[in-house]
Amino acid sequence: MSETPTYIGFETYTEHIPPSIPAAVQQATGRFVGGRAARVAELPHFEQLRQIASDIRLHTIENLDFYLERLAEQVTAAGGHVHWAATAEDARQIVLDLARRHNVHLVVKSKSMATEEIALNHALEAAGIEALETDLGEYIIQLAGTGPSHIIVPAVHLTKEEIAAIFSEKLGIEAPADPVELTRIARQVLREKFLRAEMGISGANFLVAETGTLVMVTNEGNGRMCTTLPDLHVAVVGIDKVIPDWDSLTVFLKLLARSATGQKLSTYTQFITGPRRAESEFGPREFHLVLLDNGRSNVLRDPLGRQVFKCIRCGACANVCPVYKNVGGFAYGWFISGPIGAIFAPQMLGTPVARELPYASTLCGACAEVCPVKIPIPAILRHLRRRVAEGDSLAPATMPAPIRAVAKLSAFALAQHWIYRLGARILPLVMSIFRRGDWIPSAPYPLSRWTKARPLPPFTAGFRQWWQKRKTGL
Amino acid sequence: MNNPVLENIRRSLGRTAPTSPSPRPAIYPPRQAESTEAEIVRSLEEVRKLSGVAQTIHADTVPDALKTLVAEQNIKKATAWNTPNLQQLQITHHLASLGVELVSPNAGKHDLALCDLGITEADYLLPETGTLVLKSSAEKPRAVSLLPRVHLAIVRPGQLRPDLHQVFDEARHDPYLVFITGPSRTADIELTVTLGVHGPKSLYVWMLEEV
Ligand code: SF4
Repeated sequence: MSETPTYIGFETYTEHIPPSIPAAVQQATGRFVGGRAARVAELPHFEQLRQIASDIRLHTIENLDFYLERLAEQVTAAGGHVHWAATAEDARQIVLDLARRHNVHLVVKSKSMATEEIALNHALEAAGIEALETDLGEYIIQLAGTGPSHIIVPAVHLTKEEIAAIFSEKLGIEAPADPVELTRIARQVLREKFLRAEMGISGANFLVAETGTLVMVTNEGNGRMCTTLPDLHVAVVGIDKVIPDWDSLTVFLKLLARSATGQKLSTYTQFITGPRRAESEFGPREFHLVLLDNGRSNVLRDPLGRQVFKCIRCGACANVCPVYKNVGGFAYGWFISGPIGAIFAPQMLGTPVARELPYASTLCGACAEVCPVKIPIPAILRHLRRRVAEGDSLAPATMPAPIRAVAKLSAFALAQHWIYRLGARILPLVMSIFRRGDWIPSAPYPLSRWTKARPLPPFTAGFRQWWQKRKTGL
Repeated sequence: MNNPVLENIRRSLGRTAPTSPSPRPAIYPPRQAESTEAEIVRSLEEVRKLSGVAQTIHADTVPDALKTLVAEQNIKKATAWNTPNLQQLQITHHLASLGVELVSPNAGKHDLALCDLGITEADYLLPETGTLVLKSSAEKPRAVSLLPRVHLAIVRPGQLRPDLHQVFDEARHDPYLVFITGPSRTADIELTVTLGVHGPKSLYVWMLEEV
């Protein structure tokens, strides 16, 4: 996994989901939803915090050039190095060059979505450099050679027995099917790697423009290892991660863990400004920040769609999504899944590549209700459906011409109420041909796709008549 | 300076030149501190909720408390920050008299990784979450709270801050800060909470009260 996809076949994937995946995913989402609800109830001003967070993120996106420039100045002033990567290839080259210059053989990585996005591990391995994921869940799926099924607990689809088998096979040791023992083994194996690695690679949860500070949140402590022990720390971070100042952080840090796992704060939050200052201190000698564009600056052209960059990657939207809960993370075909994936991938990869994703939703709106930064996900999904169908300056239409024609026609008909009314009269007559008793057991194409699975209730009255009757107090 | 990324951002946002933004939207005000006693009780309770061990101590109960900890956790090797406060409490002296081997906090990473216990003091403590805030410098190496399997942090009432705001006002220009909220944890295998995956398995927080 983790090469950039050329087409995401959501529908095809969903035809063969092993039942164990939704079962495991729902255990995780259930836990997180419960935890979040408890934390939200404790904070009476949670709704106000959400609004402020949303306002600050919007403000930052609208002034992204200003805050990025300030950030870069401050990182440099703190003794760090800033690299601008316009494309994924640029970013990979920057990291590879740094690794070569420092004669790096072993890289320890802390969970980072940006490095997944640019498929950095493949590039490092191709250059003969061992790159190890160190978040336990990420480490397990790296050994297993699969992708993440959940944004917070990426290996949740694997049972302890399966993980034990993977450890036994890949590490050549006897591993019991016990979470505590398996964790102990991973600690031992990875501890030795942390101490040996010449380079640590991380992402960031936030970049604070005011002081050039990288903020990183982890629970396991692997993020601290990666940024404390190796001599070289390279952070690869999307340009959308910048926030104005530390005051803004008071808002986001209160929302992030509560929304993600139902913790008040994650175990470790690090605030890193530049490399270590004194030779006798711990921390990297060199700090490099790779600011990744990779299409983000183009996505900004869409005033509604660009709200996707408000995201703080908490995963709350996925936890409440009825579609995600039944298909799991793999179906979304890239490193980011759930409702956020469905609005991120089509914009970043282009609507032709991810055209199925905006439809991978019931538009129930649960995601928007929990999103800590109030991204109007359903509105963006509808907007992207339109872009998929009709095409625009960013990408051509992907719907076949006949379907587009039908869509145009029905849009026209729905706008002219006499056509609509006429249709509502005629339809029950047409349908009565296929009616058997109280149901329509099989209907002609394209409705046959529905009746293959279940019978269709016949239209008994037009919506207008029904509404009239309802209003007059029935 | 020409920077294609910034230029493209400006083009997409419909600007031709850099502009200064309007002020950032206002943030939410900090929580108010309760009485010191209440803040202490709350902090220690939060640490315990996260499976940490929290207690109040006095300068003269430090030797006993250390003795208990060393026995409980089977401590053979330890390291401690070289700060005036910890020196005043004679932590290293007491540990040595308990037969614990001491490693300099400025020793290499391999030596620190062999320690069972790392002792630090918190620069701040947040009651709402039981969070320790630690700075980093040559005297306060950040690896001491990370590599040993047990972490003991000593904190005084004067380090309590009601909310993130006050901590950030004082520390935003520090080159490194870490917030520690409970021991290292994961739920990555079948959602079973397991402590000590990479960082310390056990966290002790001692609130040092003046007699
Ligand atoms: S879209 Fe909102 S809810 Fe979903 S991951 Fe991002 S911040 Fe969290």
